[in-house]
Order: sequence, then structure tokens, then C-alpha cells
Amino acid sequence: MATIEDLRQLVSATKAQPAAEMTRTLLAEGHDPMAILEDGVMSGLSDVGDRFANKKAIVLDLVRAGVTAKACIPLIEEAFPKGESRKIDRKIILGTMLSQHNIGKNLVGTLLSIAGFEVIDIGEKNSPWDFYQAAEKSGAHLIAVSVVFAPAMEKFTELLGLLTEMNVREKYPVIVGGAVTSRAWASDQGADGWGAQAKDGVLLARQLLKLA
Amino acid sequence: MGRLLWEVIERTVTGPVMAEEQFETELLPGALASIQAKHRIEWDPDEPVMTDPALADAIYAAGRELLLEVGLYCKSTKRIVRFTEAEIDSAVRGARHEVTLGHDRQAITVRPRAPGDAQHPYTFFSAGTMTTDVELYKYYARTTMQEPTCDGVVPLPLYGIDEMKNVADTPAQTLVCLTEARVINEAAMWAGKPGLWFGIPMSATTPLTLISTFASGLYNKHNCTLPVQILQEMRIDYDRLNLAFFAEQQGLEPWMSSCPALYAYLTGPEQGAMEIIAHTLAMLAYSGGSVTQAMSVSVHGSYVGNDIFWCNSAAGLAAERNLKLPWITYGSGGTRAPLDDDAWYHIAIACINACISGMEGLWLAGGHSGMEARWSGEITRAATRLTPREGVEIIRKINGRLSGNDPAPGAVDLPLTEIYDLKTLKPKPVMLDHYRRFTRIFRDLGLDYPTWQDAD
Repeated sequence: MATIEDLRQLVSATKAQPAAEMTRTLLAEGHDPMAILEDGVMSGLSDVGDRFANKKAIVLDLVRAGVTAKACIPLIEEAFPKGESRKIDRKIILGTMLSQHNIGKNLVGTLLSIAGFEVIDIGEKNSPWDFYQAAEKSGAHLIAVSVVFAPAMEKFTELLGLLTEMNVREKYPVIVGGAVTSRAWASDQGADGWGAQAKDGVLLARQLLKLA
Repeated sequence: MGRLLWEVIERTVTGPVMAEEQFETELLPGALASIQAKHRIEWDPDEPVMTDPALADAIYAAGRELLLEVGLYCKSTKRIVRFTEAEIDSAVRGARHEVTLGHDRQAITVRPRAPGDAQHPYTFFSAGTMTTDVELYKYYARTTMQEPTCDGVVPLPLYGIDEMKNVADTPAQTLVCLTEARVINEAAMWAGKPGLWFGIPMSATTPLTLISTFASGLYNKHNCTLPVQILQEMRIDYDRLNLAFFAEQQGLEPWMSSCPALYAYLTGPEQGAMEIIAHTLAMLAYSGGSVTQAMSVSVHGSYVGNDIFWCNSAAGLAAERNLKLPWITYGSGGTRAPLDDDAWYHIAIACINACISGMEGLWLAGGHSGMEARWSGEITRAATRLTPREGVEIIRKINGRLSGNDPAPGAVDLPLTEIYDLKTLKPKPVMLDHYRRFTRIFRDLGLDYPTWQDAD
């Protein structure tokens, strides 16, 4: 009998294919998709993150963990009951500033999608202009930025300046999160919201877009 | 010029094609792990310095093997440049072991030294500070250049000139770098040391602006070197090769530099040290340089700690025993906090580490101000003759004194006017008191320097 704990361990060990197989099995056995996501995938990712913080894992492990999560999450998304994935008519631009890290960004994207937002994921290695351009082209309602290493912090500040310069700062609430960020830093830069965890992205989006 | 520059260029268009992602996530990590295991290279997290000669030789052998097995990845063409054993051995045999830096009365000839040698590692201080205020930059440069233990300097990057930003690949960056060069030359004249060595141009980030800066003559073969540094994780691009060729054409000394990031694609300091050796052999092959800067940094953002210092010492000792290149490592506490105790302790660890690992110099030694520079210069000289065992013992004691806390907000980015009188360029009492307290602490730890007697 497969357990969600088994899945957590596979994600923690960054075993992509076995983790995807385990996800299928758990879903077929009728486990709650949200529990599979939170207690299996996200908890396993959190293990890798903790090991990285303690210098027991390296960036490459984070990348592999991202690949593992990516193999599992679409399966879970498909399994959500239709009522839970009701659509909200709000578009969110989501991307990583400068770097290639994507674990946190992908998790935020998944949770926002599950919450019903239309997520336009512009991927990794983005410049401030990429965020601005994507928001303008898509008619977005909010911009969510992942800032994972120090050089990207300055670029985040540049993004806020660029939006102001283009007279669209009021149009797009901007939220930020990521390993090197903090509430105080985000506030100093003038961000509209900061999240410590992936799930904070949903709360912030709901608050800033004035959704009940 | 490197004996193999033309071969390297040829192989960038004929070597095996590979996606960069495959190189960095499969080929390199696999080779690092298997070679590390084969040579049994292991770090004990309680060890702050690597002092074992046999392990140093194993690290050298492993680094050499890494280069032979993996080669260099050329980002410009997505191809792998491989070397033969004979080619690497030839590059090593042809290496220059001495180099003269600076000119006239400030010229120093850097020769190989071993752990415990009477010759101290040279201390090349920071000059300037990271600012857009050129006047402030000048004052900072003067405070370090006036120090008696200043063997040379390495300018810190100017971020711009007032409102003008330092924009890469534009005339703005060239102007900023020319301004850096002018101010550094003027500060050296002011300090009575016009022949001082100025390290590398730090405000220029691209070959175009580097070459434009050298064209002015303000930086030249007598006072400066040209960076040809390899990219992290065994990578090169055509910029490296163009700069290596330009250095040869102009008679400039290439600045070979390796700075692996631990915990990105490298599992720890063991692999960091292996990669530094592999990087150095590769740079030797394509640039024929001599001066080598080698340091590590954690991907978590730290330039200090047992892992970082162990990596730096392991690579340094491996090179001292097998390459005997003029070897320079990072000599700063890594925190811009002139009155922070931990920063001063870390400066001391970096300097003692260099002494007992057989290195020839420290760059960016100290912090931004002259007193931090003085501290690094004096602690280096005080620790020069220490045996590795004595040095490790002192470093352990220093480690026991580290608070591990972030510097107090008031100690970070303290304005120069708070710690120096800009009219006289003498340190203010608050700075002198801090310095004197540290000289007393280190005398208690068993080190001494002639001027420290005055601190009683």
C-alpha cells in the first residue's frame, strides 16, 4: 500500500520517474490530491530546501527536485475536482528574475492555478523588461516575481522603477518572494507584497486583487 | 602567450558538441564525484585549514585528471575543448615561477614561498570603494595606499560617476574605468608610491572596455595585469581567448583567476579545490599566465567559514607543491563593516591561512578603509613564520571568538568621515581604539608586530 510519506521520500531523493509513478498510484488509490500535493510533493521539496540551507545539498539537487515536482504536479492538477479549480478572471504574470531557479516559482504557479487564477508563466532568467512586456501584452492584473540570488534583487528594484517610468506602476500590484528576500527588503523596495512560502502567493493575490 | 592558445581556438570549432545543460548537470558532476572518490579527498568540517601535504598532492592529481577527463566547455560554440596529458605537462613545465609586479621603487618580485617561510605573503589592499562619488573613491584609495604594508592595490569598482551609470560595453563604462585609473594613479603619486602595482581594472566588465582602458596607457604593463579568468564550472568563451591574445600582443601579464561557487554544482570544498587546480592548468594552457588568484565562495553568499578557508588552503598548498605559481587568495573578511569584530577576525584567518598554506599574496586584503588594510598587512607579517600546526591552533582560537552574528547595523557601511579625518587622512579615535584592541587580542594569542607595542 503506497503512502504519501513514500512520495515525500521520493521527492526528497529527487527521483523523478518513481515519484511520478507513486503519484499516479496514490491518486488511483483515492488519496486527497491536496494532501498528495502538500504532504507529498511540497514537503519533499521542503526537505531538499532544508538540506540546501544546511549545505547538505547543492543547487543541482534543487534543479533535480524541480524536475521531480514537475513530473508529479500536472498529474495532481488533473485530479482536482472541477469545483475546486473554478476560474477567476484575473491574470498573473509569474517568473524568476535573472536566475534559472524555478522550484519556488513553479510551486507558486501551481497553487495560484489551483486557486483559479490564470497564470502566465514567463519562465526563468527574465529581465525587468520581460515582466513589463508580458504584463502589457497579456493584460495582466498582477506581477509575481521570484528572486533567488543577490544580483536579482537589484533587478527587482529596477522592475519597479521601470513600471513607474512606463506609467503602469498603479496598474500592476507586484509581489515578490524567494530565498534571498525578506519582508523588510521587499517593503523598502516598494513591493506590494512579500511571501515567505509558496502558499502566501495565493493569499497576497487575493488580497491585492480584492477577491473575497 | 599560452602554448596552446591556437589549439584551443581550433578545438572550439572541432571539439565534441554538447548542450551546456548536459555539461553542467551530467558530465561535470559525474566526473567530479568519481575523481574525488578515486583520490579519497575528504574534508572534515571541523578543519579550518588543509595542511596535509599528501592530500594536497592528491588534490593536484585530481584537478589535473578533472581537466583531462572533462575538458573546457566553450559557451561560444557549445563544444568541448579537450587536452592531452602531454599538452598539460608541457604547459606546466613552461610556467613562470616568478613575476615582478609594479615598477621602479615599488616593484616587487614575487617568488615561490612555502609554509613557514620568512618571506611574508604580499598584501594587495583594496583601493577606493563601491560608489559613484569620485572624491570619496579617491579618499578611500589614499587611506590604503599610505599604509606602510601596502605592497600593491586592487581598485574596487566605481559604480558610475555621479549620475552617470557604469553601463557595460559602452563609452560610459570606459570613461568610468579611465576615471578609476586616473584616480588610482593620482592616489599612488599622493602616497609617494608611483610605481605601485594596481592589480586589475575593476570597473571594466567586458573585453571592449578593458582594452579601451589599456589603450589610454593609464593602466599598462608596468602597473597592471589583464584578466583572462576562466568562467565557473570549467567554462570559457571567446572573450577569454581574445583577452589572452591581447595580453600577449601588448606584453601584459595575464591575471589568471578562479573562483568556484561551492554548493552550486560542487558538493563542497574538496571539489572546489579540485576545480581550482583544473581551472589553473587550463588558464596556463591558453594564456601562459603566471599570477594566479584563487578563492572560493559559497553559493549562499559567504566568503568565510571553515569550508571556504579549507578550499582556499587546499588549492593553495596543492599549487605550492606542484606548480609554484605566484598564488594570491582573497584577504578580506567579506563584510563591509569596518568596526565589526567578526570581520576583523575573518581578515586575520584569511591572512594566517595564506601564510601557512604557502601562498604568495592576498588581494583585496583588509576591507575598504586604510585601517582594515593595515590590520591585514600587519597580521600577515606577524604570522609569516608560523608553522601550519601553530597557525591552525591560532585559527581555532579565533574561531572560538567569532560571534556568528550579523554586524550591528551601525557598523555596516560606516561613512568614511566617521572613521577618518578627511583633512589629515588620519584614522579617528573610534577606529584606532578598535585596531588597538585587536592588536592586544592577537598579542594574547601569541602573534606580535613591532608597531603593536605602541598600542599598550
